[in-house]
Amino acid sequence: MQKFWNDPVTWGHAGLYLLGAIAVLAVVIVFVTYAIYFERKVIGWMQYRRGPNRTGPLGLLQTVADVAKLLMKEDTIPAKADKALFILAPVLAFVPSFLVLAIIPYGLNLQFADLNVGFLYYVALSGITTIAIVLGGWSSNNKYALLGGMRSAAQMISYEVPLVMSVVGIAMMTESLNLREIVIYQEGWFWHWNFLPQIVGFAVFVVAAISELNRTPFDLPEAESELVAGYHVEYSGFRFAFFMLTEYIYVYAIACLATILFLGGWNAPAPQLDFIPGLVWFALKFACIVFFLFWIRATLPRLRIDQLMGLAWKVLLPLAILNIFLTAVGIEWWGKGGG
Amino acid sequence: MAIRGTGIVKGLKVTLRTLGAKKVTMKYPDVPITMPDRFRGVQYFEPDKCIVCNQCARICPTDCITLTGKPNPDPEKKGKVIDTFDLNFEICILCDLCTEVCPTEAIVMTNNFELAAYSRDDLFKDRDWLYENNRNIREDNNNIGAPQRGGAK
Amino acid sequence: MIRTEELLLNVGPQHPSTHGVFRIIVKLDGEIITEATPVMGYLHRGTEKLAENLNFTQIIPYTDRMDYVSAMTNNYVLVHAVEKMMGLEVPERAEFLRLIVMELQRVASHMVWWGTYLLDIGALSPFLYAFSDRERILQLFNELCGARLTYNYMRVGGVKWDAPEGWIDRVKQFVRDMKTKLLEYDDLASGNEILLSRIKGVGTYDAQTAIDYGLSGANLRSTGVKWDLRKNEPYSLYSRFEFDVPVGKNGDCYDRYLVRMEEMRQSLRILEQALEQFPEGGETMGKVPRVIRPPVGEIYVRIESPRGEIGCYIVSKGKAEPFRLKFRRPSFVNLQILPKLLVGESMTNLVTILGGIDIVLGEVDC
Repeated sequence: MQKFWNDPVTWGHAGLYLLGAIAVLAVVIVFVTYAIYFERKVIGWMQYRRGPNRTGPLGLLQTVADVAKLLMKEDTIPAKADKALFILAPVLAFVPSFLVLAIIPYGLNLQFADLNVGFLYYVALSGITTIAIVLGGWSSNNKYALLGGMRSAAQMISYEVPLVMSVVGIAMMTESLNLREIVIYQEGWFWHWNFLPQIVGFAVFVVAAISELNRTPFDLPEAESELVAGYHVEYSGFRFAFFMLTEYIYVYAIACLATILFLGGWNAPAPQLDFIPGLVWFALKFACIVFFLFWIRATLPRLRIDQLMGLAWKVLLPLAILNIFLTAVGIEWWGKGGG
Repeated sequence: MAIRGTGIVKGLKVTLRTLGAKKVTMKYPDVPITMPDRFRGVQYFEPDKCIVCNQCARICPTDCITLTGKPNPDPEKKGKVIDTFDLNFEICILCDLCTEVCPTEAIVMTNNFELAAYSRDDLFKDRDWLYENNRNIREDNNNIGAPQRGGAK
Repeated sequence: MIRTEELLLNVGPQHPSTHGVFRIIVKLDGEIITEATPVMGYLHRGTEKLAENLNFTQIIPYTDRMDYVSAMTNNYVLVHAVEKMMGLEVPERAEFLRLIVMELQRVASHMVWWGTYLLDIGALSPFLYAFSDRERILQLFNELCGARLTYNYMRVGGVKWDAPEGWIDRVKQFVRDMKTKLLEYDDLASGNEILLSRIKGVGTYDAQTAIDYGLSGANLRSTGVKWDLRKNEPYSLYSRFEFDVPVGKNGDCYDRYLVRMEEMRQSLRILEQALEQFPEGGETMGKVPRVIRPPVGEIYVRIESPRGEIGCYIVSKGKAEPFRLKFRRPSFVNLQILPKLLVGESMTNLVTILGGIDIVLGEVDC
């Protein structure tokens, strides 16, 4: 896709881009469908259950049925809600989540936009979703939704700081924010991948990322046992589906990002294993991260909001800054190239 | 707040071990569940055994049983035979007291527990329905322990 | 200045963490509670009034439905009160069966508490772990008395059913398995740092406050008061068995958690001894008059239910029905401290504290 960038815009190119976008959307929706299925299965297995197994063979159509149900539900808007904002919020949540996928490189030449500020682009756009969540909570005119929305805003803003800071180390080593170059930099054996020299950064990134995703143990905005469902308590049907979709697309995006930034993207763990296509390696690493997220969800209880804030500002941020400092010292002493 | 993480790791190990463990859920609607013999399900009623002593109706804590008798059609015999026997299953709490006091085991429990109905009217069980409910009848009814057997109030 | 105002938030009766149909109206300043008003009665069925028109055997099924998580102890308190009033002898075998089912029930009840409490705090799995093991207890009860929740098992003067073939062995097997299961529970949750940070130092009160509010059970023992009716006023056969009464120190949610976890272990210990000493034969029903008519007078009997001191007060005029029947329900009494504990806490701690008290709404509203 990159090669069209400098050409004049024609109908043909626009059409190609459109087709590409639809292809990504299809991939993402298939992913979300089966991520939800997989999540329910994994959590079920971890709880002596079988997970969904009634709809379709092995329950494979469970999510399809769920979505079909959501689509057929009555579209309710509370009487006292701010109608325009209420309708806008799910759209505003979904659009940036889809836009961030443009910069993800799945392989050396499999990418939509090769931005030189790739990571910043991700952070900037994903911030818009926060606004949508606050908006959704506010416009519902429901106290639980409002509390959920406010919590979400506080949480996502707090955790974006350590998230970005944790990646600075990588940017310093690679001297680039371009995701493709970051992966190319990690070529070679698996100890060239960033997660070893940047182990502190990796830890901070994982914690901050789970928090950004609003998943257990940081799922306070939608803490079921306290706020019933948090910001989307008044949403139903298709609008609710969009919030769900957004959430899982971010799971997809963050898992991709972690793969790219820390686990060497499409690189094989050893040069001898290069005959296996990069996409397979990418998918494997990606699947491990997604499984880890589900595993965490099946095990851990939820933090309290003040502890959550404390963790972000008192633990993760100093750690991330320390990591930057250590990286700088490392580069100064040993030069770049993975130590 | 110090997070050492050892407890979290232990917890993660437990869930990971469970991932491969034997599942405990049952495939219920596909594989029916057999209840133990003592299980208390909807009652079975045998009109021929009933001597219209009215004890079940009297012991019922929720007054869900109503019955009427009529004189025995056989003039040779004394006593009454059952005419109508209605059990309002909407309010029956399956406490087992009616079968406990019944001196002739005319009313006994069954193991049938699938009692959902679409209409409240379906929950009004009459004599014929209860007589036809003759599957999985409880074998051991243990009405020996009844403290108020045969006793009038 | 920005204009700020207090938020009046209605929690319940359909809130997922109020453990039923309980409602609290909280005034929030931000996320901090400045005032909490509990509203109860959504599950009120008038058990005590209904009982005035029922004879004592008929009241037993009603007690099942008070604390439906622990129906066996409820059964026991009623039949025990009547027996004491009439001076009835209960055969040893029946008393053993009663004790075994009550201790099994205590384990089952604490499991429900453990699972739902961790669910309140946000962990999904413990709930299903606890329920899959509780299922075994319910299955044992089902084999014994034909119901899984509303047992109607005990009768004045004995129990309705003798233990079926092999039942005692199955209980023994269960006790053995459960001991290792409890270790797994500890691994899964008890040491979890997030859990500890959530419940340590939350909802603290001292021993004097607990006594002033009439708290009992784990809520009282967590403050360090060693008060367990099984030890202090032994009823049934408890004086025959060795067991410890676990007590806490700080009176916070964490101590209540530890006390309940330890109580499960102690119950298993009692069960082990009771199953070992279980008599070979004997009656399960004592000599009881045809119609149960307690003599004129009144009596108050109390026992230790999983939630605390459950009491039964009967006034008899010599009839088959009680003149007045009153249950002292531990959930109801323990709940009274809630408004005091909630002031100054956050919304999140509301759930932690309410769950820590361990209420059953069927018992609160009765």
